[in-house]
Amino acid sequence: MSADSWALLFRSLWETIYMTGLSGLMSFVFGIPLGVLLYITKPGRFMASPVIHMILGAVVNATRSVPFIILMVAIIPLTRMLVGTSIGTTAAIVPLTLAAIPFVARIAEGAINEVPGGLIEAAQAMGATPLQIIIRVLLPEARPGLINGMTITLVTLVGYSAMAGAIGGGGLGDLGIRYGYQRFDGVIMLATVVVLIVLVQLVQSVGDRLQTYFDRSH
Amino acid sequence: MKAINKFKALAGTVIIAASAMLTGCGGGDSADGALKVGVMAGPEADLMKVAAANAEADHGVTVQLVEFSDYISPNMALADGSIDVNAFQHRPYLDSMVNDRGFKLSVVGNTFVYPIGAYSNKISDISELQDGARVSIPNDPSNEGRTLILLHNEGLITLRDVNNLEATPADIIDNPKNLRFIELDAAQLPRSMDDVDLAFINSTYSVAAGLLPTRDALLVEGKDSPYVNIIVSREDNKDDERIARLVESYQTESVEAKAEELFKGGAVAGWK
Repeated sequence: MSADSWALLFRSLWETIYMTGLSGLMSFVFGIPLGVLLYITKPGRFMASPVIHMILGAVVNATRSVPFIILMVAIIPLTRMLVGTSIGTTAAIVPLTLAAIPFVARIAEGAINEVPGGLIEAAQAMGATPLQIIIRVLLPEARPGLINGMTITLVTLVGYSAMAGAIGGGGLGDLGIRYGYQRFDGVIMLATVVVLIVLVQLVQSVGDRLQTYFDRSH
Repeated sequence: MKAINKFKALAGTVIIAASAMLTGCGGGDSADGALKVGVMAGPEADLMKVAAANAEADHGVTVQLVEFSDYISPNMALADGSIDVNAFQHRPYLDSMVNDRGFKLSVVGNTFVYPIGAYSNKISDISELQDGARVSIPNDPSNEGRTLILLHNEGLITLRDVNNLEATPADIIDNPKNLRFIELDAAQLPRSMDDVDLAFINSTYSVAAGLLPTRDALLVEGKDSPYVNIIVSREDNKDDERIARLVESYQTESVEAKAEELFKGGAVAGWK
């Protein structure tokens, strides 16, 4: 591989890390609270509110239904408002985050579902407020599941970020498609795939270790 | 170009065979009789009909249209003498056909180009382009190369090799205005116009987005584009006087007016 190709590869690797890292982080910030809301508002739970639950669920499902490339185009005005432009690597973070939030929310809801109901009842019996139950019981108990979910989200985002090339986001997926696939450069295609495999392996093993660590420590 | 439809290809071949039998000889090699011109059925045939009427009226050359519906048989029919000339392709396509099949064909004139053009919401003339301006261009190999060749021909950049049809920004050796290129999906380019100073858009997408090459473009591909469509003959008949008259009859105002009517600003005369 030429020096130019190596430079392209490293720049694309950085773009992928930047896009998936930031959009991953922000989707956790917004997605986990959304998942908690979905859990506690479900009929029969301690803050049951069927109407809110139904509306949130419908919004989450609708966002998850929109094909990513259409989502990217549909939210151009929002992207421009938030980051000042609708094209480039930073601009790609907005649609990536928006696509990942409902995904994280459903995964968080699933993880919290696994918390034994007895623990919540015990906390309620001790007079814990709903906020205390969420912060002291639900989230710590669901932590291994949440970490596993975050890992899954990050790996999914690496895949989604390949489509960010459409709006000039760059990244490894875009490099592989444009130079490897479209220009029949097998070396670049292979190099891109190898780097992606290593990256995903790395994310997964760090996630697995964190999960094991928090599993043991409580 | 559209995918080849085998059934239509067969139908096209049958038409050639039938027309060859009707005229009672293997083709239009004879100096007398009509000049047989292969075109694609549809609007491009309508353009050639105008040119044929011109040739008959102005030069007394009788032209017979042979309509095809696939992109392989017009060159095969030309190479084997079933027709005298065809008009349906651009040069890169002809080059690859000649390369693959060894046809001895020759370009005798330009027709139209369905052009990549430069559009802007920020400036109204290309001379207003500032140093360091942001320019969005298609990110697929052929359209990206096309765009850079257009920029090279307009003197805005210099490419290492202007004959490289798949050039990328890495092949730019001189960029005096320090233009910053942003490579985007072709369908995304019209949508990028509020974020860049200049956007290069293929007519397929510009016309769909309401931007007409003949009305709105600040820069547009013309006769220097490698993707201008061409009239092609065989090497052995390229000096036939009737072919020169046909080319002359095609490159006229009346054909251009017909193109404007049919393509609504999506086709630019490639001979000016």
